[in-house]
Amino acid sequence: MAAQEPESLRELGERLDEAQRRNVRRDQQPPPTQLGIAFRFATELVAALLVGGALGWGLDWLFGFFGIHTRPLFIVVFFMLGAAAGIRNVMRAAKELNAEIAAHPASSVKDDEET
Amino acid sequence: MAMNPMEQFTIKPIVPLHIGGYDVSFTNQSLLMVIVAVAASLFLTLAMAKRALVPSRAQSMAEMSYEFVANMIQSSTGDDGLRFFPFVFTLFVFVLFANFFGMIPGSFTVTSQIAVTFALAALVILTVIVTGFATHGIGFFKLFVPKAPWPLLLLLVPIEVISFLTRPISLSVRLFANMLAGHTMLAVFAGFVVLLGGAGGALSLLSIAPMALIVAIMLLELLVAFLQAYVFAILTCIYLNEALHLHDHH
Repeated sequence: MAAQEPESLRELGERLDEAQRRNVRRDQQPPPTQLGIAFRFATELVAALLVGGALGWGLDWLFGFFGIHTRPLFIVVFFMLGAAAGIRNVMRAAKELNAEIAAHPASSVKDDEET
Repeated sequence: MAMNPMEQFTIKPIVPLHIGGYDVSFTNQSLLMVIVAVAASLFLTLAMAKRALVPSRAQSMAEMSYEFVANMIQSSTGDDGLRFFPFVFTLFVFVLFANFFGMIPGSFTVTSQIAVTFALAALVILTVIVTGFATHGIGFFKLFVPKAPWPLLLLLVPIEVISFLTRPISLSVRLFANMLAGHTMLAVFAGFVVLLGGAGGALSLLSIAPMALIVAIMLLELLVAFLQAYVFAILTCIYLNEALHLHDHH
């Protein structure tokens, strides 16, 4: 009896560990929805355009303030830079998304296997 | 009958207050923010008050949210990001509660105001900048210098700077636009129910269709409410990670 107890304790421990591991997997972050991904990319792109345009407009205003007529040079240049930054943002977001998926490989597929 | 779907977003003063020419009235917006902050603090304090070994439902909810955020920070910024736990946790819980309180019919959605979401996003970016300079000093500017031959840098550095400046905008606009769009959609369909119901005859029966749609959208909005709080928190973590580790990914 005394020799059996540690045995059953260890078994219990193993079962607890396994249950915990299963729980951890279930607690993992929610998978991003398609709509969420689309929305994220869209805002990244549009926000960069806005920031670029605003920066260019601001620079034009600043130069105009000092009597140098640049409009619309800066707004054009920075709008394009903003577009580039937007694409850079989207690429970065896609990379993050890939890393996220790689870290927790296809949780939905795994759940299907378990059931 | 107010049929304007945007009417729900108007800020109405409750206690008018003017200080030095500025309108600092206590509005329905302020009221909801107070309710959200108090409800979140009360919930977490009361849920953890017993500190039971076998948690009650409320306690396990509090513990789960703690673990959820702690895991999120650890997986995206590593162990040294954990000192930002109080910050990220507060942000997450505040946005989550604000979104959920906004789902109560007749209440007010705090996060549908760009002023609120932009203030939160600005707070995040300021924290990122301060952290970046505190950990790397002037080397934080390396964040804007990607590995490339130097002639290209003339083009790439402005792009990186713009890309960085984009963050507070995209962070705030995403939350604000999601909430605004969702609640406007709900109000529009609710308007259909009233219009069809008032039309009389067979048309009144048709009003069940938009009603059913509202139920479905309501469920979707509950998911969005959680998801947007999550996205806000995880992006905060990602930005903090960049400030802590620059480009070297651990």
